[in-house]
Formats: sequence, structure tokens, C-alpha cells
Amino acid sequence: MSVPDARVTRTFVELADTLVADFDLIEFLHLLTVRCVELLAVEAAGLLLANSHGVLNVVAASGEEVRLLELLQLQNEEGAAIDCYREGRAIECPDVTRAAQWPVFARAAQEAGFAAVVAVPMRLRNEVVGAVNLFAATTGELGPDRLSVGQALADIATIGILHERTLRRHEVLVEQLQTALTSRITIEQAKGVLAERLGIGVDEAFASLRLFARSHRRRLAEVATSVVERQPEGEAVAEAYRRTR
Amino acid sequence: MNEKRASRIWASIVKCASREGAPVSVRHVCLACAEAVSAGVAVFLSDSTLRTGQLVFATDPLGEELVELQTTAGEGPAVDAAAGFEPVLVPELGVEWSRGRWPGYVPDAVRAGAKAQFSIPLRIGAVRLGALDLSRRTSGPLAAGALADAMVCADAVLALVLDRAAGAGGEDRFFDHGAELHQAAGMVSVQLGVPVGEAMVRLRAHAYAHGERLGEVAKAVVQRQLRFSANDKSEGEHR
Repeated sequence: MSVPDARVTRTFVELADTLVADFDLIEFLHLLTVRCVELLAVEAAGLLLANSHGVLNVVAASGEEVRLLELLQLQNEEGAAIDCYREGRAIECPDVTRAAQWPVFARAAQEAGFAAVVAVPMRLRNEVVGAVNLFAATTGELGPDRLSVGQALADIATIGILHERTLRRHEVLVEQLQTALTSRITIEQAKGVLAERLGIGVDEAFASLRLFARSHRRRLAEVATSVVERQPEGEAVAEAYRRTR
Repeated sequence: MNEKRASRIWASIVKCASREGAPVSVRHVCLACAEAVSAGVAVFLSDSTLRTGQLVFATDPLGEELVELQTTAGEGPAVDAAAGFEPVLVPELGVEWSRGRWPGYVPDAVRAGAKAQFSIPLRIGAVRLGALDLSRRTSGPLAAGALADAMVCADAVLALVLDRAAGAGGEDRFFDHGAELHQAAGMVSVQLGVPVGEAMVRLRAHAYAHGERLGEVAKAVVQRQLRFSANDKSEGEHR
């Protein structure tokens, strides 16, 4: 199956457009996973980054369902993403029921409704910083076209994270990765605060954060920080949610 | 590989502790960090609730003096790192932009003998505890890999400070956990009416007191089976 050229081009232009001064990294990565799902006709996509301990952390996913997030996260023990990260190359598994090398991951993937999985590396020069996971509902290969588009999207994600004019020092890579990971943790903390305050689930809390950030043109991580620190903007998020009910 | 980095650093920390025949503490993390990055290392804690008695640790007198100077002046790389998201790296402390940014600190720091300073935030998401402050008597950037090493050490300091505040043993590493732990901390912070950092400590204390794993406690909170009440002293109630 090939990927329609016009849609690919539009997606890349859209993503490149977001790489401007006030760019919101987490929102960008979330958008990227959503576009992966659309362009590659898969069921779900997730983006994992390694922290300075080499532990893969979910930084963005096309959906917030617990099953998907857990499936992504458990790959620190076994799975396509960790193999991809360690080996620095795309890992394909067209049929998870045949994945004897990942007994726990394969079972979890099936329980989540996925039949095939692919992981493509996020790399900068010689360094692998993470992986993009793609999950399909039916068995089968991704095919060279979709695989190369998937790799291109992963490359865009890497560029977004290393959003600096030139990468002069290795430190910039480390710093930017840390910023992405810290931002994600802040967002998780904010999800908990909102969920408890408003009596809603954490995925609905995430949606309300995103909605507020977009409509007020603020970065997700900044809004999340306001929520966690109980600043006025954080109050406004809760208020905005209540008004919609 | 990053996994090797973390193992290497922790092995070095444990070695520093066993050399003294003492349990692993912030002191040993600083000593291991100093060896790894070839700089003096000090801890700057901005959150007074988590000081747990010991004010500051420093591997050398210069590091200690710089923390004191920054605390008194209320400015400096560690102060900025503690308040922000990113490390503050100053390979040449004496240059103009540095003097201009921290006029109440840099002249004194240079006089004390500091030529380079690198401060790494001690934070978990929006929970800011302070900074890990590296300093040198020679100017120049950190060696390749040194920043990543220092970040692993910063995480180790965080884990130990939080665990100590929870009255726990220092075995549970907050960074090996996923999203649920941080969501649970957010929820508990509302339930108890406390800052998220303290909520993390309470989660840890509950796990320790009940002999449960932190991950399980977090899951129970997020699934609303475990709730913390402001009336209880330290523990949550299972439903």
C-alpha cells in the first residue's frame, strides 16, 4: 500500500510550520503521532524517548487510553521499541502471535487489539534518542513506502526535539531531551491534579489541558506547570472545563 | 549507551558509600559525581520543607562557598537552574554576559577562585527542589558525557532526598516509574491540599509503611481505590 503523496507533503509542511519561535514541543509530538496514524493507516502510534538512565519514556501517543500507554511503557523489558532503540534500526513484526521473543509484550499487544507492530528509530548522527512505535489492527507488513514515510516522520520528531539552529555541543542534545521528558512529567502531574479537582478521568483531564493551551496559545507544559503550582492560569483551566459542562 | 551510564554511576555511588561503611546518602552521590565530571559538586536545596536537617553538602570548600554566596545574594547559576527547566552552563564565569546576568554574585565567586560553573535542576516535572551545582577552578566546558553523568547524579540526589523525607530507605527510584506515579502525585496533592513534591513523599511513605511497591500504590490511587485524607497523619485509606 502506498501513501498518497499530496497528504505526505501537506503533513511535512504542517509539521515544519510548527517549528517556529513559540513552538510547543509536546503538542508537536502529539500531532506527529496522530499524523502517523492517519498517513500510515495504522491503529495507534507512540513516541518514546530515552532518559539519561536509558529508560524509555512515553512522551506522546496518538491516544491516551491506558492500555496503549502501558503497552508502550512496558517495552523497557521487551518489545519492538527497546530492540529498535538498542540496535538503532527499524524493527518489524507483521504478526505478534509469532513473536516468541517478546512473550509479555506480544500478549499485551494482542489484548490491546493490535496484530502487528513496527518501531522506527529516532536518531541524530550516531546517537539513537528514542523510537516511534506503530501498531496495526491487522497482520501484515508495513511495506517499503509506509516504512520510509514512518522513518521520515520519526526524523522530523527528532528535529523538533533538537530545535536549535546548530547542534554544536553534545550538551544541547542532552538538555533538550531532558526538557522534553520533564515537560511530560509536568503534564502527568497536571493530569492528576485536574482529574482529582474536577472528578474526571486522566484522559479527559489531558484533553481539557490541550484545549485550554490551544485556545489561549500557550504551551502545554506551561499550562500544566500553572495547574500543578496552583497559579491563576491553572484555576482558569478548571473553570473553563466547568463551563463546558 | 545510557543504561551503562546509569549502572556505572550507581556502582560508583555505592562504592563511595561502602568505602565509608555507611548507607548510601546524598554525600556519596556528590562524591561519585565529582569523580565522574572532574569538578567540585554541591547541592543547593531551594525547597525548605525537604531539607531534612542537613543543609547542604559540598565535596570541596569552593563548592560550599559558592552555594552560600548564591543563597545570600539570591542569584547565580544554581538559583536560576533551581527555578527553571534547564541546566545553566557557564564555562567561563568571568566573562561579560555572566557578570551582567548575576552582578551580585559573579565578582565574589571569581574572587573565591571559581572559573567555571554548571548547575543542573533538581526537579521532577513541576516539582522543583533545587540544583546540583558543579564548579571548577579552571575555565572550559564540561567534557563530553559529563553533563549526562551529572544528570544521572541529580536524579540520584532527588531520589535520596525524597526517600529520606518519606522516612524510607532510599531503594525506590522515582525515575523508573511511568506516568501513573506522577498522576497519582497530582491527585494526592489535591486530596491532601499540599504541594506535589510533598504528595510524592507521602506516596512513598505510604508504600514504605505498608511494604508495598510505589508503583502499586500509584496505580491504586489513579484507579481511585486508594485515597489520602487530610485528616490522616501519613497514610491513605483503601476503599
